[in-house]
Amino acid sequence: MKQSRIRFIAPLAVVTALVLVGCSTSNLGGSTDSDPTGAAETGPIKIGAVLDITGGGANLGVPQQNTLTMLAAALNENGGIDGREVELTIVDNQSTEDGAAKAATKLIESDDVDLILGASRTGPSLAMRSIAEAAEIPMISLAANAAIITDSKWVFKTPQNDVVVLETILDDAESKGYKKLALVRDASGFGEGVADYITDLGADRGITLEMTESFELTATDFTPQMTNVRASDADAVIIWGINPAAGLAQKAYGQLAVDKPVYQSHGVASPAFFEAAGDAADGVIIPNGRLLIASELDAADPQRKVIDAFEADYSAAYGTPASSFAGYAYDAWNIAVNALAEAGTDSEALRDAIEGTTDLVGVSGVYNMTADDHSGLDASSLILAEAQGGVWSLYKD
Amino acid sequence: MLTDFLQLTAAGLSQGSVYALLAVGLISVYTVRHVINIAQGDFAMMAGLGAVWLISAGMPLFVSIVAAVLTVTLVSVAIERLIIARVKKLTTLVSIILTLGVSTLLQAILLLVWGPEARGLPVFPGSDLTIAGVSIRAQELWMVGALVFVGGGIVFFYEKTRFGKALRACAEQPVAARIVGISPVMASVLAFAIAGFVGAIAGVVSSPIYLSIWSGGLLLGLKGFVAAVLGGFSSFRAAIVGALLLGVLESYVAGYVASGLRDAVAFFILILVLVIRTDGLVLKPTAVRV
Amino acid sequence: MSNKTRSLSTTPTFVGTLTAKKPSFWVTNRGATIGCSILVLAAIIIPFTASPAMMNVAVFAMIFALPAIGLNLLMGLAGQVSLGQAAFFAIGAYTHAILLTKFDLPGPVAAVGAIVMAMIVALLVGLPLMRLRGHYLALATLGLGFIVMIIVREWDFTGRTTGIYGIPRPEVFGVVINNNGYFFWFLTPFVVIGLILAINLSRSRAGRALSAVNDSELAAESLGVNTYALRLKVFVISAGFAGIGGVFYAYQVAIVSPQVASFHLSVEILLMVVIGGLGSVWGALAGSFLVEFLGEGMSEIIPALIPGATGEVQLLGYGIVLVLVILLLPGGLHQVAAAGWARATGLWRRRGAESARGIRRPAHTAADLHEPIVADAETTDIALPAISVPVAAGEPILVIEGLTKQYGGVTAVNNVSFSVPAGTILGLIGPNGAGKTTCFNMISGALAPTSGSVTFLGTSIAGRKPHVAADLGLTRTFQNLQVFTSTDVVGNVYMGRFRKGRAGVLRGMLGMQTGEQHENRTLARDLLQSMHLTDVADEAAAALPFGRQRMMEVCRALASEPALLLLDEPMAGLSGHERDVLANLLRRLRTAGLTIVLVEHDVAQVMSLADHVAVLDDGVLIAHGDPETVRNDPAVVVAYLGTDIDEAEHDLIELEEHV
Repeated sequence: MKQSRIRFIAPLAVVTALVLVGCSTSNLGGSTDSDPTGAAETGPIKIGAVLDITGGGANLGVPQQNTLTMLAAALNENGGIDGREVELTIVDNQSTEDGAAKAATKLIESDDVDLILGASRTGPSLAMRSIAEAAEIPMISLAANAAIITDSKWVFKTPQNDVVVLETILDDAESKGYKKLALVRDASGFGEGVADYITDLGADRGITLEMTESFELTATDFTPQMTNVRASDADAVIIWGINPAAGLAQKAYGQLAVDKPVYQSHGVASPAFFEAAGDAADGVIIPNGRLLIASELDAADPQRKVIDAFEADYSAAYGTPASSFAGYAYDAWNIAVNALAEAGTDSEALRDAIEGTTDLVGVSGVYNMTADDHSGLDASSLILAEAQGGVWSLYKD
Repeated sequence: MLTDFLQLTAAGLSQGSVYALLAVGLISVYTVRHVINIAQGDFAMMAGLGAVWLISAGMPLFVSIVAAVLTVTLVSVAIERLIIARVKKLTTLVSIILTLGVSTLLQAILLLVWGPEARGLPVFPGSDLTIAGVSIRAQELWMVGALVFVGGGIVFFYEKTRFGKALRACAEQPVAARIVGISPVMASVLAFAIAGFVGAIAGVVSSPIYLSIWSGGLLLGLKGFVAAVLGGFSSFRAAIVGALLLGVLESYVAGYVASGLRDAVAFFILILVLVIRTDGLVLKPTAVRV
Repeated sequence: MSNKTRSLSTTPTFVGTLTAKKPSFWVTNRGATIGCSILVLAAIIIPFTASPAMMNVAVFAMIFALPAIGLNLLMGLAGQVSLGQAAFFAIGAYTHAILLTKFDLPGPVAAVGAIVMAMIVALLVGLPLMRLRGHYLALATLGLGFIVMIIVREWDFTGRTTGIYGIPRPEVFGVVINNNGYFFWFLTPFVVIGLILAINLSRSRAGRALSAVNDSELAAESLGVNTYALRLKVFVISAGFAGIGGVFYAYQVAIVSPQVASFHLSVEILLMVVIGGLGSVWGALAGSFLVEFLGEGMSEIIPALIPGATGEVQLLGYGIVLVLVILLLPGGLHQVAAAGWARATGLWRRRGAESARGIRRPAHTAADLHEPIVADAETTDIALPAISVPVAAGEPILVIEGLTKQYGGVTAVNNVSFSVPAGTILGLIGPNGAGKTTCFNMISGALAPTSGSVTFLGTSIAGRKPHVAADLGLTRTFQNLQVFTSTDVVGNVYMGRFRKGRAGVLRGMLGMQTGEQHENRTLARDLLQSMHLTDVADEAAAALPFGRQRMMEVCRALASEPALLLLDEPMAGLSGHERDVLANLLRRLRTAGLTIVLVEHDVAQVMSLADHVAVLDDGVLIAHGDPETVRNDPAVVVAYLGTDIDEAEHDLIELEEHV
């Protein structure tokens, strides 16, 4: 009966392992302190961040990690918030939903954070949403999809809503007299719902959506999609995705000699786009925050000062230019810090303070949060940029 | 309409050529060791990423490619010697878990060495053509060419040369193989060398268009497997035809139905074929000896 | 069953010897009871003591233990590799999430719906897939995983790439399960129940049959095991385990996205099973904890060791562990634990023994096993096993008409017809390659005939699987022994009782068959006694010498209470004395009403034993009659002994001298 012994040993091993590493923190009711409203009003302020540092979202998460680390160090050097030190804990979710859920639970239950930032992408952010809501801890996501904040009391986000970005594209399309559009979108959360928005927004502008094609985040061959686009009678094309797929789609577009004007999304606003697309990138127009073309900004532009400072700090610290994704983290941090300075760490008060954010000048735009709009950016935060010779420049008609 | 159809066909044939090379590698190993090498596709990714890295280190394109292909061939042989050959009783269950472990290990190594991003080789020399509105990229011709010359060469070796025929017979008739001087060890090493070689060739010729990424090998290898199943897992010719069909069919589904369903095509075909022809597809029914 | 079992008053049968008491619940379930108690105790304590980080990992380990236990049943028990366990996990998670969020169903209803859905899908895909073997099944399940992932990703109903989110927290008696500690307690009862069900199943009639199938599918089928149906059931059960794992995953993570169907998750679950040890239910639980902690550890350690490492770096650990476990520790943790326990108890015993001379001598040395059987071959006072006598003696029990088998252009068996009257012994002889075994295989169902019919007890069985004939009462032995190597001698004979048992998979899982099991075990021991095998009853079957393995196979066949026994060269490899014991037993069985067909090389034995002899030459039946007629048939002599007439006559003389 030798083989039966593992049935004692297995659970015993589990018990020993867990008991040995045991510590006093309770697993049975969130925070350790007895204050039911959440956190202590003295001592260090605890901010947790869940980012896509590894895995598919690493392009987004790594610059965000850099940004937050840099900002936290700077803040503490200047004495923190109201003399209270800020403790920033960053956790990697490996670009997975369950990783994000695990990380958010850990931050709330064991690190006892007052506020959560992240995640970098829509899926992980959605996984964190219900956890933050259950614990009644404010959360500021760095991802774009409006579903993250829809009808949520506790969750906010810094990137522009997709609708705002699409409005900018469609306004330009309308001004050029395009009547029919083709959409080639990625099959991730980022690309979902885009077709419906275009149909809705286009109705007011006399623009119809002729066809929709989609591609995987990991797609490398775009021949079928582009063949169909080539055969359609659309006046212009919107390619909606992130790098490298969206860049490769652009390359295939050029190779198959589709000669229609192309709009891409704010998801490609990084040098990786040019690496993937090569010469085919020339002439592509994207809507984006002003960070992308900061040097061309008017000196009087209210964002100019903020962007320049951020760019300077970031490249001084990391030796590379800051991406728009880093900008979303920068803005989230500043919204959080402002609200913490105003309301302290009582979670209800903190939430109200974030919702009350007005005229906060950020890298991505000027934020005005309301109870109905937990994103806070409108179309004025966007400009159109054109790709030419491997760089982005302000697009002028 | 016709132009689109031809365009999709051309893209499908070039993609199918890659599947065909992988199928050839899978069958080589299967006939000798009765192992389905789940790591077959990872050879392609390893060769692609390796060659990209060599180029970034300043090597010329073709030197990088040759070096990468030879390295991957050696890696494949090393896997056979260090891992596969170590198992005394290689049951189906064990062989699946083992090659799955090897595949996972290779993927992790690729990820650690070359990072998570997809990378592509520069396109090979040649100019793109446009025939009757159908754009054909020079690289696609390279892919088909690799199948014709490398794949064709391997098939010729196995089917026409005495040595190759003996190698194929090795699994069933070790005695026949010994007559032409092939030991089981040598047969196994050779089979893995061929598998590594064709996998690597597939990886480098497809890299400029389809890119190489650490995690891409599994799906690619599986499609090679589906092609091999279509060919009854013993006939190289049938597998190559199956691979080209699969490539073209995927291209049609992506173009005419929905591109998201592209990867599902192979598995629907696989399950359909296995279900309809359950018995017909089992290799040669091993004579029941009881 | 139309067969009725007749106990002959003239000979003592086993029924009267069944006196041993049924063992108590405690004796049979001691291990599992103690194990589960420790587990429950641990589960109660852990939330108070574990650090939150550990707690987090422990919750996921418990969640993944469920699909791992299911996969362990499939791989360890049924020997089927599935690379698509995550697909059923995902189906469970998605169904649960959809039922909760879109249909607002109560939690328990949604959970049951999720499990049922996973099992239904498993049944539908299993119906065709379970006919596949080995590599094909593994890769087909792998394909299934991809298909599920693609479907949930492309379907609006499943929320496409974003998936389904906003899953409410579970609530038990008004308590909202909103922290890891509560969740762990919420989860534990289900894991414990799952463990118990799985342990019961692996020890049940069905579980034993499955491990017999892994040793020799043909032998198991010949004893009445419907391999396909059994594997399908385990596949469906395994999917049910995955489904309930998915339910808890959906609750815990509160979002279900296509990633839950990802291949890497299937690999992770497979790794849990392999690390834990194939076939060990407890191993699956231990494995899931180990893999979860390994994954957590690797994703912290590797980036620290290798700067710039990003992504799913824990795969490096998974890959290395998979390869190393298979190469160095094929039994997984189970093997380590068993070896450790053996050493510990060995030390204990040595210390406790009054003469500390060393390890206890094994019960039987190799020499013991070869000791001749000393019992008198003519003894008649040993009990006979029960047999079925479905038809009166002399009535045809087996009718073969026009039986033909062609391989390509070669005709191995050509238009053979004969019938066997009940209660007689038919000897089937012929030179090597005459088609005797082919003929035999077509009768028992191991081979499908090209044409012709085989009718057993009025039922046509030609081309049907062996278990069909076995169910009707036709059992066989094998020329090339088909021993169940994973069990002992009594376990082999016990498998012969399969046909007489009724407990199905469900009863097995619920542990409601110990009475039947005990009865069968006693019967098996009695049967071994009649064949003088009692001394080796508890030896590993594979360790037996060839001759005794053959005797054991005969025992195994007899254990099924057959009406017709097919013996394929039963005398081969037996000593002269053993042959006499066997021949004597066969004669007594015939007297009791059993019908026997034997293929035999030992012509002398056949001539002395058989009532009728059929002679095959080159696939053609050249003679059929009583031994005397056949022996004197010149065609037989020439065909059987060769064309050289002098040599033939010489051999014939020799042959007659033997008889």
